[in-house]
Amino acid sequence: MAGGQVSSMVCLTRTSLRQPSSEKQGIPLNQEDHRAQFFGHYRREAEGYDREFMKKHDEDLNTTLIFVSLAWYLGVHVLTWSQAGLFSAVTTAFIIDVQPALRPNSIDETAALLRILIYKVDNTTFGDDTPAIPQWTGAPHVFVQVQAILYASLAASLLSAFLAVLGKQWLNRYASTDMRGTAIERSQNRQCKLDGIITWYFDYVMESLPLMLQAALLLLSCALSRYLWEVNVTVALVVVGVTSSGVIFFIFIIGAGTASESCPYQTPGSLALRYLWPKAKRILHSATSAFGNASKKSKTIRTIKENVEYYDPWWSRDEIMPFLKDMVLEVPCAITIDVYHLGKAVVWQPTVTIYQLICAIVMSLVLNLHSMPSTLEQVLDPQPTALDLRCISWMLQISLDKGVHLSTLKHLTTMMPLANFDPALVVDCFNTFIGCININKHKAAIVKGLEELAEVSALCFLRAFHQLSAADPASTILGDIRKHHKKVLPIDTSIGGLPWYHTMGKVCRLTDLPLHHDTQWDDFRSGLSAQQQIKITQAVAEVAQVEYQRVQHQKVPRQILHFALCTLSLHPPALASVIANCLSIIAIDLGCDISNIGPTLVDR
Amino acid sequence: MAESENVDELCSKHKAITSLLPYAVWQDLSGQPEMLSTLLHAARASKMLWFRWHRIRQFASVLLSEATPHAIVLVSPHMPWNHLADRGDLVQQWAVATSMVPHTEEVAESVVNTLLQIASEKKLLPYIPADTWLWLTKQPSLPPVCLGRYSGTKSHVVEAARRLKDIEILKSYLLLIWSEWDILYSEGAMCTSIREDFSQVGMGHHRADLIERLDYVLGQLGQGLEYLNQHNLDINWNNLQIMEQQYGKLKEVLLEVNIEAITRLCNSTLHFYVY
Repeated sequence: MAGGQVSSMVCLTRTSLRQPSSEKQGIPLNQEDHRAQFFGHYRREAEGYDREFMKKHDEDLNTTLIFVSLAWYLGVHVLTWSQAGLFSAVTTAFIIDVQPALRPNSIDETAALLRILIYKVDNTTFGDDTPAIPQWTGAPHVFVQVQAILYASLAASLLSAFLAVLGKQWLNRYASTDMRGTAIERSQNRQCKLDGIITWYFDYVMESLPLMLQAALLLLSCALSRYLWEVNVTVALVVVGVTSSGVIFFIFIIGAGTASESCPYQTPGSLALRYLWPKAKRILHSATSAFGNASKKSKTIRTIKENVEYYDPWWSRDEIMPFLKDMVLEVPCAITIDVYHLGKAVVWQPTVTIYQLICAIVMSLVLNLHSMPSTLEQVLDPQPTALDLRCISWMLQISLDKGVHLSTLKHLTTMMPLANFDPALVVDCFNTFIGCININKHKAAIVKGLEELAEVSALCFLRAFHQLSAADPASTILGDIRKHHKKVLPIDTSIGGLPWYHTMGKVCRLTDLPLHHDTQWDDFRSGLSAQQQIKITQAVAEVAQVEYQRVQHQKVPRQILHFALCTLSLHPPALASVIANCLSIIAIDLGCDISNIGPTLVDR
Repeated sequence: MAESENVDELCSKHKAITSLLPYAVWQDLSGQPEMLSTLLHAARASKMLWFRWHRIRQFASVLLSEATPHAIVLVSPHMPWNHLADRGDLVQQWAVATSMVPHTEEVAESVVNTLLQIASEKKLLPYIPADTWLWLTKQPSLPPVCLGRYSGTKSHVVEAARRLKDIEILKSYLLLIWSEWDILYSEGAMCTSIREDFSQVGMGHHRADLIERLDYVLGQLGQGLEYLNQHNLDINWNNLQIMEQQYGKLKEVLLEVNIEAITRLCNSTLHFYVY
């Protein structure tokens, strides 16, 4: 995080770091107190978030419904001309004009019968021409096309109206608060609903409604243009021109929205394109490189070259005939082989890539379906911890209040070790920690007033990182965090002299960054309370475990062993639990399985 | 793990064993010396000349002031004395500890090993009390891999031993540092010492002891590299040749001095009878 951004948060934080009354009085909170405090903050944040969420989607749906109902009304009831609006007028005129062309024209039939009647009375009236009843051969092909497009447009708008109505119901269900249960249970219930909204891509469904309307509009424009082309080309050209301009403008805003996230003309299309563009680029790149490789390895070119070098036909007439003979015999085979290879390279590989992409999307959907609990009881009953973790993750992502972050992370510390947590929680903890650091002239410092948050977030991050590493060492989240860390805290950043030097050092180790200089742990005790010492050694022991597993069970990093040595060297000796953690570090390096050993010094 | 004799494993876990040392010392203080014994066993079993606990520099003060004399004496050979060259106070504390422990073979080996290491550091040498040198006369058997014996062959250590003006200490010193396991830093100072300190007529038995030692060493060297590598992997073919030259030269000098002494003795005897 940029230094300025962090600084700007300081004022907010200073005013918002509210301590509970028991903490103010110096009484440490227990686990339940932290939980209750956290869910108090959660309710407040959730109310604000849900209000905004409901307002946004409700307004969108209302707009859609008004637009569609007008269109639907116009399309089905052939409304009166008194209704104003471009869309209604065009649709009305279009439908009225086209609809009769789809069935036999009764006026023509009447005229023909009259002609026959007159002919029966006086067969000289029409000269040699014998009138006959016209045979209905079906509606003109063009009008069928036009009408089909019209009805497609109508169906799309009707479908979007249907979804909009359903959307209103879904939103109402989300907004309805379960009046039973405690405040914590209601919060958990709400989090389940929110998780469902994310898992089932509710936002995307809502975003698709305007897309369907846009498609309906486009279809109407196309149908109008095609119809008018049959009636009058000049008039049709005007409509085609305006429609094309609209389409070009739309494509332009999609392009602009895709190219720049800050562009105000964002549409669902640009969001989709932004997601798909890197994949498309990869496919394009693989196709291009495959084409390049294929051309280099072209058997046709090689055959021609070899024949030219062998016969040298430009200098000797006698060699021309055998040269041509060989070319006729060999080149078609070479071309066939080249076409095969080219097809394999240019078509097969991108096809495989696209296939893999589709498989990945389908798999993620299937996995989501499987991972989602089917009933609310199933969610709430066995794993309240997992729900708490989801609430914590959401709070860290949504809230900008550092006081809320502190309360959230304190609750998280009481829940260690973590189980079944979303890997995104590691990122959230890391982002919070990074948010407490200000870097000025290659020197890192903890933002004033955020020392406690820095401590708690660093420890939470270390533990969550450790547990994720142990549970899923191949997780992409781990790699992303390492990359992010290198970006935020470059190697040349000095971290010496910080009150949280040790924690910073550990974070650096954990994120695979070499420290700026050899870490000295001599100041381990200075300025640290006994509780902090215990926390730090516990975190270092966890890091040792992670690192040991990361290097495939070979060794614990030198710096961490040095930390253990320095801590064990202290005089008077450190606290028993600190010593126990140091012994754990050494035991890990010696390859001992400490998972079944108790936490006390005696056990170690 | 620390009890194992697997040299490679011990070397690879050197840092972990080092980290455990302070805790083992505290355990020893509270009457549980087993862990310390195990660590010392590991250090000996490693057969590493440089199996020293470099990282315990900051622990050295605490160790020498708080640990039991027995623990101090046993741990001190593995302390990085070359990195503690400005800590003469530690040498004095160590010397006090050596004076408090009863003599055993293990203790004598550790004290001599440490003494020679400290003596090899020019800045620390003056802090060694004279009576501490007397440990040399106990002539413990040093292990094949012994840093003290290796670094104790430096010329200034030879000079220091000579300055004590105690022929027993000097002889014991030479008998200890002459071994088939180490190259001599400088045999020149030893040759000088042999010529100047052992040339008197009445020192025949000292010379005989020294010659016997050199014969033993040369005999061991004559058994070849394969035999020596069974106990010390640091010796190579080149080292073996140099050692044979060095000890051969020392023996030559010693025999020469011995002949001179005998000649002088004969001349004196003849002179006595003739005149």
